[in-house]
Amino acid sequence: MTELAQAVVNGLQMGLLYALVAVGLAIIWGLMEMVNFAHGEFMMLGMFGAWWLSATLGWDPLVAMVPVALAIYGLGVATYSQLMRRVQRGDAFAQIFATVGLLLFLQNGVVALFTSDYRFVSDTVLARLSGVQLTVLGIKLGIPLLLAGLLALALFIVLYLLVDRTEFGLALQATSEDRDAAMLVGIRPQRMFAVAWGLGAALVGIAGVILANFFSVYPQVGLSFTVLAYAIVALGGFGSILGTLCAALLVGVVQSVTVVYLPPAFKDAFVFASYLLIGLFRPQGLFGRF
Amino acid sequence: MAASRRIALAVGLLAALAYPLFIQATGYTYFQTVGFLVFIYAMLGVGWNFIGGWAGQFDFGPCVFFATGAYTAALATVHWGWSPWLGMLAGIVVSMAICALITFPVTRLRGHYFAIATVAMWMIAQPIGATWELINGSRGLFIPFAPAKSTWEAIWTLGWGGRSKALAYYYVALLLFVLTMYLAHRVDRSKLGYYFRAVRDDQEGAEAIGIDSRVYKTAARCLTAAVFAAGGVLYGFWALAVFPDQVLEMNWSVLPMISTVLGGIGRLWGPLLGAVILIPISQVMSATLGSGPLAGRGLDVIVYGIIIMAVAAFRPSGLLSLPWARWFSRG
Amino acid sequence: MRRYRIIVPILLAALVVGLGLERAKAQAPKEVLIGILLPLTGNFASLGQQYLWSNQTVEDIVNTDYPDLNVPLGPGKGFSGLGGATMKLVVRDDQSRGDLARTLVEQLITVNKVHWIDGEGTSGNTSIIQPVVEGYGIPLSCHPCASPTLTEKGFKWFFRTGPHDRVMVDSVFQFLRDWPKHGGPTDLKTVAVFTCDNLFCQDNHKIALEHAAQSGFKVVADLTTKTGATTLASEVQRLQAANPDILFFVQYPAETAVFQADAKRAGWMPKVIATSNGAYSDQTWLEAQKKTNGGAAWLGRDPTAIDLASKKPSWKKVNEIYKKYSRGQDMGELAMRQITGMLWVADTINRAKSVDPATLAKAATETNMSPELLIIDYKGIRFNKANQNELATGVVTQIGWDGEKHTIWPWELAKQAGYTPMYPNPSWQERDAKPKPAR
Repeated sequence: MTELAQAVVNGLQMGLLYALVAVGLAIIWGLMEMVNFAHGEFMMLGMFGAWWLSATLGWDPLVAMVPVALAIYGLGVATYSQLMRRVQRGDAFAQIFATVGLLLFLQNGVVALFTSDYRFVSDTVLARLSGVQLTVLGIKLGIPLLLAGLLALALFIVLYLLVDRTEFGLALQATSEDRDAAMLVGIRPQRMFAVAWGLGAALVGIAGVILANFFSVYPQVGLSFTVLAYAIVALGGFGSILGTLCAALLVGVVQSVTVVYLPPAFKDAFVFASYLLIGLFRPQGLFGRF
Repeated sequence: MAASRRIALAVGLLAALAYPLFIQATGYTYFQTVGFLVFIYAMLGVGWNFIGGWAGQFDFGPCVFFATGAYTAALATVHWGWSPWLGMLAGIVVSMAICALITFPVTRLRGHYFAIATVAMWMIAQPIGATWELINGSRGLFIPFAPAKSTWEAIWTLGWGGRSKALAYYYVALLLFVLTMYLAHRVDRSKLGYYFRAVRDDQEGAEAIGIDSRVYKTAARCLTAAVFAAGGVLYGFWALAVFPDQVLEMNWSVLPMISTVLGGIGRLWGPLLGAVILIPISQVMSATLGSGPLAGRGLDVIVYGIIIMAVAAFRPSGLLSLPWARWFSRG
Repeated sequence: MRRYRIIVPILLAALVVGLGLERAKAQAPKEVLIGILLPLTGNFASLGQQYLWSNQTVEDIVNTDYPDLNVPLGPGKGFSGLGGATMKLVVRDDQSRGDLARTLVEQLITVNKVHWIDGEGTSGNTSIIQPVVEGYGIPLSCHPCASPTLTEKGFKWFFRTGPHDRVMVDSVFQFLRDWPKHGGPTDLKTVAVFTCDNLFCQDNHKIALEHAAQSGFKVVADLTTKTGATTLASEVQRLQAANPDILFFVQYPAETAVFQADAKRAGWMPKVIATSNGAYSDQTWLEAQKKTNGGAAWLGRDPTAIDLASKKPSWKKVNEIYKKYSRGQDMGELAMRQITGMLWVADTINRAKSVDPATLAKAATETNMSPELLIIDYKGIRFNKANQNELATGVVTQIGWDGEKHTIWPWELAKQAGYTPMYPNPSWQERDAKPKPAR
């Protein structure tokens, strides 16, 4: 029984990390309905930012979060204003086309600058806490992961309040629902999209910085996390920030629990199978608005 | 069909037939292989057009059927000695059956939800491919090669080797491409094509007049599956090995898609135009920027990415939307 | 529409001209062209780049005069057997994709007219290019490719100087079997196998299961995980529950780091961790372990006793040259295999005194290179009927508290290395507490 409980707790911890990666996508794709194949590359850039600042200036990732987030925010805004704004004129598929190009460009740009070696950010504040272990009711909890998870949760709550409770958030939602009507009430859609892209990119960049404490940093790291992020946003339902959080926790738990009893190679397959199963009963995800 | 169009098609076909012979004289068989790749990707692009261009659904999963086609034919040849043509028929049947079974239930999902469902199928197929002992899992299924003793036998077993393989496979790819284009042309003009486009343009409206969108989305996807299965078989015999991480690669889903988008989605000739431009460019990039002292920096892929982004930004509807190309496009 | 028919021929013409400009002259060449096909971008880029640096090192050694360097073609400029012709690498990046590998190798052979192909670096893609090169009839070599199947299909034009996994995994189990007789623990009975799901790991997985059975170990867990895993907590949980004495571990560096973090969180450390390539061969992972003691007491198969090999003056000199290309990174065992193999290629061309394929192949099969000329610990280079170097055996090494690898098997070499194997695996607290070799 403790075996199962431990697996559930592990799953919830990972789920919070997944939520962090997914929340940026929840804004760009979930809310604004723009396909972004390069989401993982923004995360990868966040990881590289954290590594580079640690290796050259000795900054801890917790400190590096701020400059990296700002830089990637700028990148997100630039991506929209230079690329995606023009792509919006065409088919929805053109967005896939454009962001595939962006993926190739960003990933290999990093290869050109830094080579494909695996890098590790060592001796961080969070890593130093890794020897400390908390055991509650026979279940082991790692402090660093717990802290990272709490950070993720905090960011999520901030974002939820931003999107659902502020005027800016309402303006974002309005733009995604009906661009023309939004214009009629004085909202500038292009500005909304640009900010959404900036915010989405910055959030996943922050996720990258936090993840750099735990995972190795290399140019191809984007895929493994972001393929789950897509499933999470869709599972949670488009347009719902809370849905993304719930879906992320669910995904973490499914991944963790199934592997205890079933072949681990099918880890992600089980997650996606759950998506299909849930989708049969709720085609718009858990809390989807559209 | 207008006379000028017929002439253009005839000239195009002749050029395609003559191209490799001219290359054979120079001995640079590599260029025949480039042509082979162009036609395979163009064929897959046309196949993708069924579900993506005409039925308008985001589908990232056709690589699954590419794999099922390749494995079916490979198994048939390895265990029963079947000719790859029979294997291809088997592969198409198996893929269409699997497609119908797994697609119909998820057609409840719309838009991006459907897209993730197709990704889900791909993610589930991967560990199956990697661990299933029947297909030798990650260790790969190798197709034994025995040089054919006569031309007829070679055509039956696709058993060319060495210098003549590139030439022969070019023609096989061309043949499959022509067949796929013919299929697409017929579907485009038929009621089926009309229903597909109706579902894409206004699903509720289509259902209101009695078109079951679920059935037609599944039908479109099965046509896509059939084309991808055929492509997979051809790939398997070209490579003489089927590895799960190579045939289940997302590239096989995405590259045909971006070729088609580049050329123009939903246009009959879009995929060919896109493939003719993208494949040679990526090859030239790889040979120039990706080699020599600049090798290993990924510069060729960076430039490739920039080109894609530029086209997406300045011509998001694809190249066939350009005025001079309008004569050449349809639908 | 008329422009379409103009544009396509122009594109094709540009392609022909652009690539045709690189083709070489045939007999009595001024340059020997070696086609290098590697994954320089994509999933295997971290491997590919090491092989590229290795090949550049060999190009440097061959074309430059290093009078004191005791390796083939060290002294003297160029190929003496070909009148001083220089070696030129023609490098292509296949982006870790099989279809590109298959296509680019045809380009190298038919357009660039290379005389020898070395690649692809990964066993999967190398098996894709083997039939092509065999069909065209020029020599192909892959030295770090470890899959046994590469030399079991009867290809006449494929040569491998490095050992394959059957030999290497065998050494690990031989060590484990004989350890009790040489002062090791006598109570190792159970083994758990933990591998990733791609070709390289699965080859190891199959061989390990065979050997475990033969060696009398009981397999208590057999887990295959997906490459690119973001967490291995549940796998660790299962392994911990199975409580094996030995963990046979084959994973890439990224997943190994994840495993270490999750094992630390779970407070689990088996008595012995035996690896086969993967992270154990990755220089960056090894360097990172020096900061945390995370790799201490891990043992694994190695094609070379690096602690002994690095004492050779030729090793040191070659390492200095390698560091020019690798941005200061030392040669790891992968680089050593590739450099050794490439130097053998150069030596073969030199002995053949020609670039005619049949002559090259003959010179290759007749190779009998003595171990003094090698910077790696093979007993020499001599091929069996399958063109596999039968003198490439493996050793077993262990990472010490100094973060470096030490030879622990074969027993004679271990005595030379003068290192006593650590047992059991130190706990996580001990690793944290002990001083770290690097900051």
